[in-house]
Amino acid sequence: MKIRQILLVLLAAVAIGVLAFLLFKTQSVDTNLHQLRLANIRAVDNLDVDYNRNVMQVRTTSLGDTTDDRGELTRRIGDALNEIDQGPAALHGLDPELDQALATFLDTIQDKFELSFDFEARGTLLTQRLINSLDSIPVHADATLAAVSGSAEVRERLGDLLRQIKAEAITFALTPTPVNQPVLAERLTELDGIAEQQSSAFREAAQRLRAGVDEVLGDKTELMNKLNNFLGRPTGPQLQAVEQAYLNWHERQVAVANQYRLWLVAYAAILLLGLGWLGIRLSRSYRELDQANAGLQHANETLEAQVATRTQDLSQALDHLRASQAQLIQSEKMASLGQMVAGVAHEINTPLGYARSNAEIVRSSLADFRALCDAQTRALTLMVGDSASDEEVAQALSQAQALGESLNAEELGADLDNLLADTDHGLQQISELVGGLKDFSRVDRSRTDLFNVNDGLDSALKICNNQLKHGIEVVRSYGQLPQIECSPSQLNQVFLNLLTNAAQAIDSSGKIFVHTAPENDGVAIRIMDTGSGMPEDVRERIFEPFFTTKPVGKGTGLGLSIVFRIIEDHGGRIQVRSALGKGSEFVIHLPLKQQGSSNVAPATEPPPPEAAVAAA
Amino acid sequence: MNQPAKARVLFVDDEPRVLTTMRILFRGQYEMFFAESGQAALELLKSQAVDVIVSDQRMPGMTGIELLRAARELNANAMRILLTGYSDLNAIIGSINEGEIFRFVNKPWSNEDLTTTLQRAVSAARASRAAAARAGGQTQQTPPAAEQIAGVLVLDDDPQVPSKIQSVLGSDYRVFGARSMEEAVGVLEREQIGVVVSDTRVQDHPIINLIGTLKQHHPELVSVILTERADAGSAIELINQGQIYRFVTKPILDSQCKIAVTSAVRQHQRLTQNPELTQRYEVERTPPPPPSSPAAGLSERVKSLRSWVKRWV
Repeated sequence: MKIRQILLVLLAAVAIGVLAFLLFKTQSVDTNLHQLRLANIRAVDNLDVDYNRNVMQVRTTSLGDTTDDRGELTRRIGDALNEIDQGPAALHGLDPELDQALATFLDTIQDKFELSFDFEARGTLLTQRLINSLDSIPVHADATLAAVSGSAEVRERLGDLLRQIKAEAITFALTPTPVNQPVLAERLTELDGIAEQQSSAFREAAQRLRAGVDEVLGDKTELMNKLNNFLGRPTGPQLQAVEQAYLNWHERQVAVANQYRLWLVAYAAILLLGLGWLGIRLSRSYRELDQANAGLQHANETLEAQVATRTQDLSQALDHLRASQAQLIQSEKMASLGQMVAGVAHEINTPLGYARSNAEIVRSSLADFRALCDAQTRALTLMVGDSASDEEVAQALSQAQALGESLNAEELGADLDNLLADTDHGLQQISELVGGLKDFSRVDRSRTDLFNVNDGLDSALKICNNQLKHGIEVVRSYGQLPQIECSPSQLNQVFLNLLTNAAQAIDSSGKIFVHTAPENDGVAIRIMDTGSGMPEDVRERIFEPFFTTKPVGKGTGLGLSIVFRIIEDHGGRIQVRSALGKGSEFVIHLPLKQQGSSNVAPATEPPPPEAAVAAA
Repeated sequence: MNQPAKARVLFVDDEPRVLTTMRILFRGQYEMFFAESGQAALELLKSQAVDVIVSDQRMPGMTGIELLRAARELNANAMRILLTGYSDLNAIIGSINEGEIFRFVNKPWSNEDLTTTLQRAVSAARASRAAAARAGGQTQQTPPAAEQIAGVLVLDDDPQVPSKIQSVLGSDYRVFGARSMEEAVGVLEREQIGVVVSDTRVQDHPIINLIGTLKQHHPELVSVILTERADAGSAIELINQGQIYRFVTKPILDSQCKIAVTSAVRQHQRLTQNPELTQRYEVERTPPPPPSSPAAGLSERVKSLRSWVKRWV
């Protein structure tokens, strides 16, 4: 049971663990983080574009105007890059490909910043120089125009050419076009052509103009190159590559998560199935419980009635049992009473038989004696009287003598004396037996009395004398006993029972020892026989009611249980020892006084026997 | 005293005063022997042939029944009388079946009854001794053929009993059933019956009157009592007034029942061959049955059976 419970708990823990794992795996793609990362990338992109634009604006406005903006932008770009590189939503460390793209991008943008700083530093200088050069061009052109000599046509042409050069130079300085430079170079060449025909002053002036233009061209070109170099840094595509790589990685993550989601769904389905099965089982159990509950409720409702019925049945059974127990005890008493009466009847019938017979003999003999007496009286009368003749007297005498001889009066008289003595003896025996019965039953004594146990043993021995006749010798050794407070009739019943059992245990001949001795606060009685003894299993049970070793119908098995109860009721103890084939010994200890009450046998349910009887 | 020799009677009692009484009571009438125990009696019987043994039942060492059973083996012709102070059913049944006793005499006894009983016993003993002397050595006879075997009448309330006994005895015996005394007398009139097997009561009437009357007038009829209502009083009555031959208690044990009935049949054959022996089974006068009893009318019919018995013998 315990192991099963532990297993169930483990199973549940494993199921929950698997569920948690799958859930975790499914939740590993953090959409917010993903959005943040994408937003970061966009922000970097936007800032990059802004930066480019800012730098581009330098062309049109002065650099100084945009410097503050650019510083701000630079800071923001730095923050954004930090976000990407190290922040909570960093892309770094997710994927090697992504890492490489990111590294490339970061390198590039680093370059770009450096270029930007370079451009800024150099640009200011160059732009200043450009402006100066540009400012010098009209001066040189005017000087050139002033130095020209020739016709008005030449002058006009030169003026026109100079205007074109100025315009072209300014255009180039501001917004160079691909055609600007060749056109300017063409114009300068044209100017050179004119200068060949002019004075050296003119040529010098033209040369200075040309140098100014060249300076403008050079500075502008350098500026443009720097700008182009800055703008040419491929941050945009690289950032796209980073985004692509990140998206690829994210897609893979999503794919894995989807895989786990599938697993989760499958697992959830399995769990659901299990849950459903459990549910069915539960509902079935519930239904059973419900039925059981209904049964219980029904039983509950009828229980009281049942209990009442049972109680009634039980009390009836108890009454019945009590009645049968009382009946059994009564029949046990009657049976042993019958046995005792049979024994005593035989004891009485023998002396009664010869006493009665003797009386009859004496009566019939008396008639003979009377006849003899009559004959003798007649002879005497005749002898004494005068009227009778001698012959008559002689006849009467001889008749009397003959009668006396035939009667053998002397012998008969002696016989009759004997018979009467025997009769006396028989009557004495009968009266002793009747006295013994009376002593034994104690019907004329109170239930609780001071009693000498030795007397009780003697009267019990007298009562069961006829059972002891068959070669059984009784050896009495009585101690000087104090009188004890007890119910004599009950104790006599105990003694008779034990003596009868002892006699029955002796097959043909043997001895019964009856021993008494005073004890501290009581007396001890030992009744020992040299009979058959009993095995251990019998010895253990002999005081149980209804236990008997006699054939069915021969004994109720109550005798010794009644003995036991009588002794217990007297506050005494009874012990038995036995050896198979050697004999048994019962030892009874009885207290001098009954405890507390004058009523000796309160626990004895049926009224104590009026005439104590022995158990068969 | 005309008789050539006085009858010899043995008295056995562990109470010497009883023996004294007997000695004085029967002084001059019999040649008396006395023993105070069963063992002493048996010793005496080995040297003395007696006609009658009167024994007390309860004696130390050997009971009266044990003594009478042993005495029967020593001297089958001696009549056996049991003097008993109390009625122990087993002892009585044992004495009937094993001791084949002549009478029970209860203590205390009446001198007159005892004298009469003793006289009867003495004459029965004399008769059987004479018969034995006449028969010489041929007491042992070959069993007669089946048709000669007398019928067995079974008188019982339970109709199962006759067939049960027929099956126990086998087909050699003819068993007739009767469920009332009327029927029984009818069967006795029609058939040759040698043995009557009966319960102690039939249709709530004691059987003792019928058995007693039958035995009085047809002493060669042998009775076996088969009952579950055994009690000491009726058993004593049945032996004293009916001279029942065996007393068997139900439930019927096949072997026990067969032995009892077959030996009863042999007994019947012995009696028919030696009518003198019937004296051994003489019964006390049955007191006249009360008029309400069915036995009253029956006893006349039973007497009329004499002619039939004569013819059959």
